[in-house]
Amino acid sequence: MSEEILKALTQLYAIITKQDGGVTERERDFVISIFNEDLDQDSIQEYLVLYDEYVGYGIEVVEPEKKKLTSVKDSVKTLAICRKINKTLTQKQKVVVLLKLLELVGADRNFTSQRMEIINTVSEVFNIDNEEYKLMEGFILYTAEDVLDMEDLLFARKEIGTLQKSNEIQLNITGELLFLKVRSVDMYFVRYLGSEEIALNGFAIKPGLTNQFSHGSTIKTPGGDALYYSDLVRHFLQEHESVKLSFIAKDLEKKFPNGLIGLRDINISEGPGKLIGIMGASGAGKTTLLNVLSGIDKPTTGTIKINGIEMFSGDTEKVKGAIGYVSQDDLLIEELTVYQNLYYNAKLCFADFSEEELDRRVMATLASLGLDQRKDLRVGTVLDKTISGGQRKRLNIALELIREPAVLFVDEPTSGLSSRDSENVIDLLKELSLKGKLIFVVIHQPSSDIYKMFDKMMIMDVGGYPIYYGPPVEAVTYFKAATNQVGADKGQCQTCGNVNPEQIFNIIEAKVVDEYGEFTNKRKVTPVQWKGLYDEKFKPEVIDEIKELPPLSLKIPSYLKQAFIFIRRDLLSKLSNKQYLLINLLEAPLLAFILAFLVRYRSSPEGDTYIFRFNENIPVYIMMAIIVALFMGLTVSAEEIIKDRKILKRESFLNLSWNSYLLSKIFILFSLSAIQTFLFVLIGNLILEIHGMAFTYWLALFSISCFANAMGLNISSAFNSAVTVYILIPLLIIPQMVLSGLLFSFDRLNELVSTKGKVPIVADIMASRWIYEGVAVRQFKTNEFEAKFYDLEKTEFQADFRSSYWIKEVKNQLNYAIEYADSENQEVTAKVNRHLVLIKNELIEEAGAGVVSDIDLIIALDPEKFNTQTGLVIRKYLDDLAQRYLKEYNQIVQKKEMLIYGFENQLGYDLSALKNRHYNEGLADLVRNLNTKERITEFNGRLLQMIDPVFNDPKNPKNLLDYRAHFFAPKKHFLGVYFETYWFNLAIVWLMTTILYIALYFEWLKKGIAGLESVSKHFFKHDSN
Amino acid sequence: MRKISSFILVLVVLGCSTVNRSDEQAFLDSLNNLSLEGPMISEEVIADIIQQIPSPLEISYLLKDAGTQYDYSMLNAPANASNYNSNYQKAINLGIYGTDLGYANIYEENQDAIKYLNSIKGLANDLSIGQFFDFTTIAKLATNSKNLDSLLLITTQNFNSINSYLQENQRSNLSVLILTGGWLEALHITCQVALKNPANEKLIEKIGEQKIILDNIKLMLGFYTQDPHISDLHQRFLELEKAFEQIEIIRTYAEPTMEEVNGILVVTDNSSTTVKITDENVETIRDEVSKIRVKVIS
Repeated sequence: MSEEILKALTQLYAIITKQDGGVTERERDFVISIFNEDLDQDSIQEYLVLYDEYVGYGIEVVEPEKKKLTSVKDSVKTLAICRKINKTLTQKQKVVVLLKLLELVGADRNFTSQRMEIINTVSEVFNIDNEEYKLMEGFILYTAEDVLDMEDLLFARKEIGTLQKSNEIQLNITGELLFLKVRSVDMYFVRYLGSEEIALNGFAIKPGLTNQFSHGSTIKTPGGDALYYSDLVRHFLQEHESVKLSFIAKDLEKKFPNGLIGLRDINISEGPGKLIGIMGASGAGKTTLLNVLSGIDKPTTGTIKINGIEMFSGDTEKVKGAIGYVSQDDLLIEELTVYQNLYYNAKLCFADFSEEELDRRVMATLASLGLDQRKDLRVGTVLDKTISGGQRKRLNIALELIREPAVLFVDEPTSGLSSRDSENVIDLLKELSLKGKLIFVVIHQPSSDIYKMFDKMMIMDVGGYPIYYGPPVEAVTYFKAATNQVGADKGQCQTCGNVNPEQIFNIIEAKVVDEYGEFTNKRKVTPVQWKGLYDEKFKPEVIDEIKELPPLSLKIPSYLKQAFIFIRRDLLSKLSNKQYLLINLLEAPLLAFILAFLVRYRSSPEGDTYIFRFNENIPVYIMMAIIVALFMGLTVSAEEIIKDRKILKRESFLNLSWNSYLLSKIFILFSLSAIQTFLFVLIGNLILEIHGMAFTYWLALFSISCFANAMGLNISSAFNSAVTVYILIPLLIIPQMVLSGLLFSFDRLNELVSTKGKVPIVADIMASRWIYEGVAVRQFKTNEFEAKFYDLEKTEFQADFRSSYWIKEVKNQLNYAIEYADSENQEVTAKVNRHLVLIKNELIEEAGAGVVSDIDLIIALDPEKFNTQTGLVIRKYLDDLAQRYLKEYNQIVQKKEMLIYGFENQLGYDLSALKNRHYNEGLADLVRNLNTKERITEFNGRLLQMIDPVFNDPKNPKNLLDYRAHFFAPKKHFLGVYFETYWFNLAIVWLMTTILYIALYFEWLKKGIAGLESVSKHFFKHDSN
Repeated sequence: MRKISSFILVLVVLGCSTVNRSDEQAFLDSLNNLSLEGPMISEEVIADIIQQIPSPLEISYLLKDAGTQYDYSMLNAPANASNYNSNYQKAINLGIYGTDLGYANIYEENQDAIKYLNSIKGLANDLSIGQFFDFTTIAKLATNSKNLDSLLLITTQNFNSINSYLQENQRSNLSVLILTGGWLEALHITCQVALKNPANEKLIEKIGEQKIILDNIKLMLGFYTQDPHISDLHQRFLELEKAFEQIEIIRTYAEPTMEEVNGILVVTDNSSTTVKITDENVETIRDEVSKIRVKVIS
C-alpha cells in the first residue's frame, strides 16, 4: 500500500471518528490495530501522529454547535479522498476498507447519523451496491442479542433452525461464528462472537473482530471440529448441491506390462464440488492414477463407478461425456485461433445449438477464462508463440469446460507457468469445483496459496502407495506428528500463514544418516510403512452412490455433420499454414517439371528435334510419376493422425465418430491428391507432349495417390512418432518400386515368388504394378494412332505367334514323341511322356475341346495309349492348323495394308505424323516385350507366349475368381467377364484402398503391432530369465 | 501457347477425336466388306523367279572396283525407317537398307553400317521376322569393326533364311518387296556412280543388264496387284520398263571349254553378252529410278 493511500485512509478514519463528539479511546485503539496489520512500529507512530493531528486528539472540542458546518467541509474532503482511493485500490481492497470503516465505528458503537452518512458516501463513491452495503453493515454491527436474517450470511452455532434467509450450520461452540459473503468480489469474512479460543489458520480469533476468510482457511474449535473454506463456501452455494454425482473408485490396482505395479489399493469416494489434489514424488504414480481414474487406462483390478455406472463396462459410453481430461500437454490445434479452437470443439459437443448460441457459449467461456481479448490470435506452437503459456493452459481447460463435464481431471496445470498464471488457473478450477464439479488435479510443487486452495489432497509415495488423503494443511501436521517432530500441531507458519508442501516430501523421503553423518539411500520410513500408517489412520469414507445418470449437456452431431465439422476444422487449419499449403501445391508441378524437363531430349532419329514417339524415357517417366504420386500421397498423410493424436485423446471423451473423423481426413487428403496429381500430369504431360492421355494419367495417379493416403493414415494411426513413420516410408515405397514391373522383369525374379507367365502374387499386392500396367497398356492400346490398328494387329500378331512359334514347338515335341514312342530307355520315355502332357494341354486349350480330328486327346495322348498312328493324325491336324493361322495372318495383314493405304491415300492422314505424336516406341517395345530372346517358353507342361503380351488376352481362367494374367495383358478376367486392363486395375487399387480404410477403421495395424510387442516382450522376458 | 490450348482442348473433349468420324467409319466399313483373296500364283513359281535374281551385293563390289568414293548422301537415311507404316513400305525399305548396308560395309563405313543394322532390326521386328536377327550377337559384333565381316555374313544369311521363311508362310509378297527394294537401291547407286564416272563402261553395261532382272521383278509384282500399294508400284515399274525398252542385249554363244587345273576339271563358259545402251538411255533410267525411289523411301 502506497504512502499516499495510507495517508488518505488515515484521513478518512480521522474524518469519521471526529464526527459527533470526537474520537474515543477505543476507536483510537482500533485505528492503531489497523495500522498494526500493515505497518512496522516506526511507521505506526508516524501515522498515529498524523491521525491524531487530523482528528484533533487531545484537544477539547469547544464548539459543538458548529458541527454541521464541519460536516459539510468533511464531506467534501471525504469525496476527494475516496476518489483518490478509487483510482488505486481494487474493488476487493475497497470492500476491506469499507468494512474497516464500519468496524471502526462499531468499535465504540457510536453510530451517529453523520458518521453513518460519511460511510454511506464512501460506499457510494466506491461503487458498492446498496444492498451489499446494508449487508456489510448488518454483519459488522451484529451482536448476539440482535436478530439478523439476510442472504449471504452464515451462522455457525449450537442451535440452528431459526432463520429463513441466512445459512446456518451446526457447530459445537459457545457463542457463534458469523460469516459474510460479499458476492460482487467473491470474498468471505468471519466474525466470532463468543469467548472460546477459536483458531483461524492456527491463530486465535479476537472476539468481535472481522477477519478475512481466504482460500484454504480453516477454523478450528477447541472441541476439535474443523471448518474448511471449501465446506463453508459450499454452504453459500446451496443451489449447486443439486448436482447429482458420485465418484467411487474401489481397490484400484494398476500393473504395467513390464510387471511393475503403478498403483495399489486406491480407494476414492467423492461427491460433487470438490477440488482434489494429487501429489507425490516423481514416479509415485500421480499421472497413472489420473489416467486410471479418468478411464484412459484400464485398472488391472478394482472398479470405478460414476453414479453407479462402471467404467470399462458396456455402459461406459453413458458416462464418458461426463468426464473431462486436461492433459499436461497442449491439446490445441496450433494453426487455428483461440476462438476457432473452442468453436469447433463446441460445435462437436452441441449439435442442437444455433450458430448464435454457439458463439455466445464460446465467448462466455473465453470471457470466464480471461481469454476474450485474445480470441483472434493464432494459438501457435510452443516455439512460435502468440499466446502465453498461461493462456494456452487456460485454453486447454476451456476446451474441456465448454461442455461442462461433471468430473474433470487435470494433469499438472501449473507446470511451466508463472506463479501468477498458476494461481489464476487453480483459482479457476476452484471456482468450478464450487459450482459443483468434481475436479482431480495432479499438482507439482504448489505454492502455499495454491496448496491451500485444495479441498483434499491425496499424497502418493513411490510404487503407487497412497499415504495421505485429507485436508491439505493437515497433511503437514500429520506427517510431522507421524515422525514426532516439534510443532506438529502447526500446519502453517504462525506469522505468515504459509504452508510449505516441500516439508511434507522432506519428511516422507527423509533418508537414514550413516555413522559419518552422510545420507544413505535408505529411507527412514519406507513407502510400505507409510502405507501401513495410512491404513491405520484413514478409514475410507464412503458416500452414497447416486443411481441416476450424471448430467450431460452435450449432444453429439450426426456422423455426417461430424465429418463436415472435422473437414472444416482441418481445412481451416491447413489453409492457415501457408508453408504447408505452398509446399504441397508446388511440390507436384515442380517435380513434374524437373522430371519431364530432364527426360525430354532431342529424340528424333536425326537427333535434331523432340519427338514423343522416340522418347525412350516414357516408360520410366510413367513409373516415376507413379512413385511421385505414391510419395506425395504417403508423406502428406503420414503425419495426419499422429499430429491429431492429442486432440483425439481429448475428444475421445466426447464419443465422436472415428469413422467421421477418418472420412474427413480421407476427403481432405483425396482432394489434395486430386489437385497434386492434376498439376503433375498437367505439367509433366505438357512438357513431354503426351497427347490425349491426361485423363488416363490423372485418374491412375490420383488412384495410387489415394491408395498412398490410405496407407499413410494407417501407419500414422499405428505408430507413435512422426520419425518412425518417415523411416517407414522407404520400406513401403521401395517394394512398390521394385515390383512395379519396370525395374525388374517379373520373369527374372526368385522362383520362390514368381510364376512364369503370370504376375507374381507378391507383385499383385503392389498398387504400383497395377497402375503401371494399366497406364502402359492404355497408353499403348488407345493412343490415337494405335487405336486404329490395335484390333487388327492383335489378330495379326497372335496368328503369327501361333503359326510361327507355337505350332512349330508343339510339332517338334510331337515328332519326338512319335519317333521315340516305343523307346525302352527310361529317360527318353519320361521325356516323351512330358511332351505328351504338354501337347495334350496345348491342344485342348487351342481346340477348346478334348476332341480334334475325331480323336479324343485325353485318351490318344495318354502315355500308355499313344502310338505313331494317332501321332500322325495329330500332326496332320497341326499342319492344317498352321495353314489356317497363316491364312488368317495373311488376310489380316492384307487388310491392314489396305487400311494404311486408305488412310494415307483416301482419307489424307499423315500416319507418320500421327504416330510421332501419339505412339511411343519405347513403350511399345516394353509392352510387346520385343527384346526377349525367348519368344516362347515351356513351363509346367505348358507353352508360354513371351512376346507381345499386350496382344495376348489371358485365356482359360481356372475358376471364376481367377484374375491372374501375364504382365501387360490387354484384358483381365474376373467372374467370367473380361475387363479392360486399365479399368480393372484401377478397380483393384480402389479395392486395396477400401481395404486399407477398413483396416484403418478397425485399427488392425495398431492392434497387430501391439500384439507383436506383447509377444516380443514375452519372449524377451523368457530370455532374461 | 498454342500447345497449351490444344492440350486443354484435349483435356476438355477427351475421347472426342478431331478427325471426322463418319468418313473414317465409311472407309472402315468398305474395308470390312472387301473379300481378301490371296495371289493366284503358287509359291513355288515365285521362289523360282526369286532364285534367278542375283544379290544386290554383287553390284557393290563392282562399285568399289570402279574406284569411286563412298557417298552417303545417295543412300536412304537410316532415320527414315520410322516413317514407314505399312508392311509394303517396311519390306521394300528393308531391301533398300540391305543394299545400303552392303555398300557402307564395302567401304568399311562401320558407323553407318551399324545405323543401317539398327534400322533393319526395327523393320524386321515390325514384319515379324525379327527372330532372324540375333541382335544381342549383332550388337556385340558391332562394337568392333573387325567383326564387320562376320556381321555381314550373318545379315546375308539372314536374308536368305527370311526369304525361305516368308515363302513357307505364304508371305512371298514381302520377299518380293525386299528383293525389289534391294534391286532398286542397287540400280540407283549404280546409276549415280555411273553419272560421276561416265567413262566406266562396265557400270553402264551393268545398268543395261538389269533389263532381264527388271522383267522378272515386274512379273512378280504383277502377281500382287490386288494390294493397292504394290499395284501403284507395278504401274511405276511399267514406266521404268519403257526406259529399258531400247536396250538390246545380245548373247553370243560359244562352246564351253574344259581343262584340267591341278587335277581338277574346270569348265569355262565362253559365251559373251553384249549390251547396247546409249547415254540417253542411262539418263532416262536414272531419272525413272529416282522417281520410283523417292516415292518409295519417303
